[in-house]
Amino acid sequence: MRLSEDQVRALAARAVALTHADEAEAVVMANDAALTRFANNRIHQNVAEENTTVSVRAVLGTRTGVASTNRLDDDALAACCEAAVAAARVAPEDPAFPGLPAPAPIERIERVCASTQAFDAEARAHAAASIIEQSKVRGLSAAGTVARVDYAVGIANSRGIDAAMAVTDVKATVLSTGTDGGSGWASWLGCDASRFAPEALGDEAATLAQRSEVPGSLDPGAYAVVLAPEAVSDVLDFLGYLGFGAQAVDEKSSFIAGHEGERLLSELITLTDNALSAETVGLTFDFEGCPKRRTPLVEAGVVRGPVTDSYWAAKLGVPNSGHALPAPNPYGPLPMNLELAAGETRVDEMIASVERGLYITRFHYVNVEDPVRAVLTGMTRDGTFLIEGGRLTQPVKNVRFTQSAVDALANVEAVGDRRVLVGPEEGGANLTPTLLIGSWQVTGQTR
Amino acid sequence: MRDLVTTALDAAASAGSTYADARVVLTSEERISVRTGRVEGIESSDSLGIGIRVIADGAWGFASTSALTPDAIRAAARQAVAIARASAITAAAPVRLSAVGVFDDVWRGPCEIDPFTVPLEEKLALLLSADEGLRTQEAVTVSSASLGFIKVEKVFGSSEGSMIEQSYVESSAGLTAYALGDGEVLPRSYPNSHGGQAIQGGWEAILALDLIGNAPRVAEEAAALISAMPCPATTTTVIIDGSQLALQVHESVGHPTELDRVLGDEAAFAGTSFVQLSDLDSLRYGSTHVSVVSDATVPGSLGSFGYDDEGVPAQRDYIVREGLFTGFQSSREAAAAIGRTSNGCMRADGWNRIPLVRMTTLSLEPGTWSRDDLIADTEDGIYFETNNSWSIDDRRLNFQFACEIGWEIKGGKLGRMIKNPNYTGITPKFWGSCDAVCSAEHWQVWGLPNCGKGEPMQVAHVAHGAAPARFRDVQVGVGR
Repeated sequence: MRLSEDQVRALAARAVALTHADEAEAVVMANDAALTRFANNRIHQNVAEENTTVSVRAVLGTRTGVASTNRLDDDALAACCEAAVAAARVAPEDPAFPGLPAPAPIERIERVCASTQAFDAEARAHAAASIIEQSKVRGLSAAGTVARVDYAVGIANSRGIDAAMAVTDVKATVLSTGTDGGSGWASWLGCDASRFAPEALGDEAATLAQRSEVPGSLDPGAYAVVLAPEAVSDVLDFLGYLGFGAQAVDEKSSFIAGHEGERLLSELITLTDNALSAETVGLTFDFEGCPKRRTPLVEAGVVRGPVTDSYWAAKLGVPNSGHALPAPNPYGPLPMNLELAAGETRVDEMIASVERGLYITRFHYVNVEDPVRAVLTGMTRDGTFLIEGGRLTQPVKNVRFTQSAVDALANVEAVGDRRVLVGPEEGGANLTPTLLIGSWQVTGQTR
Repeated sequence: MRDLVTTALDAAASAGSTYADARVVLTSEERISVRTGRVEGIESSDSLGIGIRVIADGAWGFASTSALTPDAIRAAARQAVAIARASAITAAAPVRLSAVGVFDDVWRGPCEIDPFTVPLEEKLALLLSADEGLRTQEAVTVSSASLGFIKVEKVFGSSEGSMIEQSYVESSAGLTAYALGDGEVLPRSYPNSHGGQAIQGGWEAILALDLIGNAPRVAEEAAALISAMPCPATTTTVIIDGSQLALQVHESVGHPTELDRVLGDEAAFAGTSFVQLSDLDSLRYGSTHVSVVSDATVPGSLGSFGYDDEGVPAQRDYIVREGLFTGFQSSREAAAAIGRTSNGCMRADGWNRIPLVRMTTLSLEPGTWSRDDLIADTEDGIYFETNNSWSIDDRRLNFQFACEIGWEIKGGKLGRMIKNPNYTGITPKFWGSCDAVCSAEHWQVWGLPNCGKGEPMQVAHVAHGAAPARFRDVQVGVGR
């Protein structure tokens, strides 16, 4: 059982009081998490964790230091606070440091579900069994996870910030594979376990696995692609990380640096960071306890942004959008709740409009080759199909791409009418539709 | 710590486990980073807790807690058993573990100067000076320099009777200069990218790197990259430096030969492997120049320990010998599945994670060539140095790596500098094209502290020894 909202709030306040500095901030994270993992149609790993960490930022003038601990006794907590002060003492002055942020109203959204808190090991095992059964009865093999997290975050600072929120999430994934090279994927993310339908998830992956059996070869080249939401989410994630953080813009490693207000992407693209959406998960304040603002990043292809925290807002002379990560971090503020506006095109209409192209379910192991143009390389995975004459004709073996995400989103031809919430590996959540992109560079293929 | 482990093991047995192990781990860290003249962070942390892993009803369960009172530990042990019983709902066959000895032992890693005793002021002065050296070129608009130190103290105990104490210190440091060109940012790092070099050892290792002395050269190379030629799109001979080859070994030999991947345990996340169980002692993994050994006994390596996290002693074991695939990296459970015993590769990322099959120090053994002779022996090709980007498919076949810098090789000499070169290939074909590896004089162990695997994600600290090596007929300049 994790600490309650009131308890994390009180612990944060206690840490601030124990920190003898000009200013102080404490972030308390109390976590009760469990994850059931299955492979080869059986549960093979099943884990649970309870942990509470306190992270303290001490400020002396414009010098800062950070220390954290998960030992909550008086002596350990006092030592942590003193370590933060000691670090601040040796740090040089940072003239750009504006001081810790002042409180601002935070929108209250209920994101704790009793059904998720009650989603115990036995319930998760039965959910996993339901997923597995869909593959097993078709002679396929299922692997994946059913995970539950129940956490509370409390943030206090000496200027009066006193924020606390509890959140529950359920995340499930399933990979279904056959012996003839077929594989299918499905995932689900939400805060309410009672809305999670494991049988349907297992069926979706198994159906895709059957459909992708005996994949063929594909020559490298430029293809029109229909990217399913999981694949789009990967592209958005990298674009958010590389392009829409204030530090990247300031350092001119972002494609939007010097181009804010210009139409760089397709008019069909409207991208927002919106932690306040009723459809997303997570906190409504950032790791400084500031409200996460709904932040337009791209409006009909015109780039806006970037997102900020208190430091970068002051440095750039723009409002604080509430996107601080835990201090200190080497990336600066980042968008973690991307939301791509839905369009009006059904997926079958997109496929029907493609003379020759690819349908891609998701990507694997994507990495950056050029941060400015967001040139990414990676592989497709778990359901890649050739589109010919407006129809899915045959599955193909996984292909490698080397493609600029900026160029891809400048070349969007249609946006799907339905959106899916996808939880990336790095955390956060992206709400995204399917996209039809006019040209995508396939540069290789696996065996 | 031993008492806490005993409390956990007793509680697990009382709750009905047929096997249990427990680890109490205290991890202390310090990290200092400077970016473009500004101190980005001075941060310390500690984390203490216990993880209890059990088998009950023939299935696995694991629970962990940071609350270390006897009652909390007993509750976690009971939770682990309840989780195991839930796992059994889908179990096909009971978990079997290969045999291991019973050990009561203490192991400590090497450390001459405890970095946690070195004043913060001294560390900060070193970084600020090195960072200043990175900004001696106008074209370098962003610079970064960082130091990191980790101290781990842990006690492992099992229901079979082992009780093992281990402790070690890790130290890391690195520099990167970023030169801003026309619509491009070009990084140049020392001694390696992605945080630099990491070793098991103390402050003495940081001093040996001479960060301050190397910074101006790094800045010069970053600035020169702006006007360097782009990588040609062609198929050619490549010579790959030791640090990049270390990552190549990691991705295309290390992961595909983890036995849990081969058995399908990681299928949904990291993926599986092109290597099959039946490939043992028959698959031609590379040319006869390619021998890869897994060795958890290399002094000062991030991949070294006395015992792995299920109490198996550190070992040295060939994975590829003269090109032939000869062994998997394994755990007690995975080894039992193929009728072998574990070669000690189970490692956990802290008290709150289960051990998984992880690399230790997985190294390409040195050959006989001097670096100069190897270049002189190469008529036409590209020399690749320092990783910038990596990607490989879920069966570890199709890979693509980009490096920070390259040089043309023409007529046996290094020629023009190349910016952002990349290469791609298929694992066994690539290793099969290796026709020369440099000698022990050029061989170095590179720490790799960011190996992700498992769900929840775990980050392992592993290492790879490598010397520059030559490969024929490699596709370069992909997508350029």
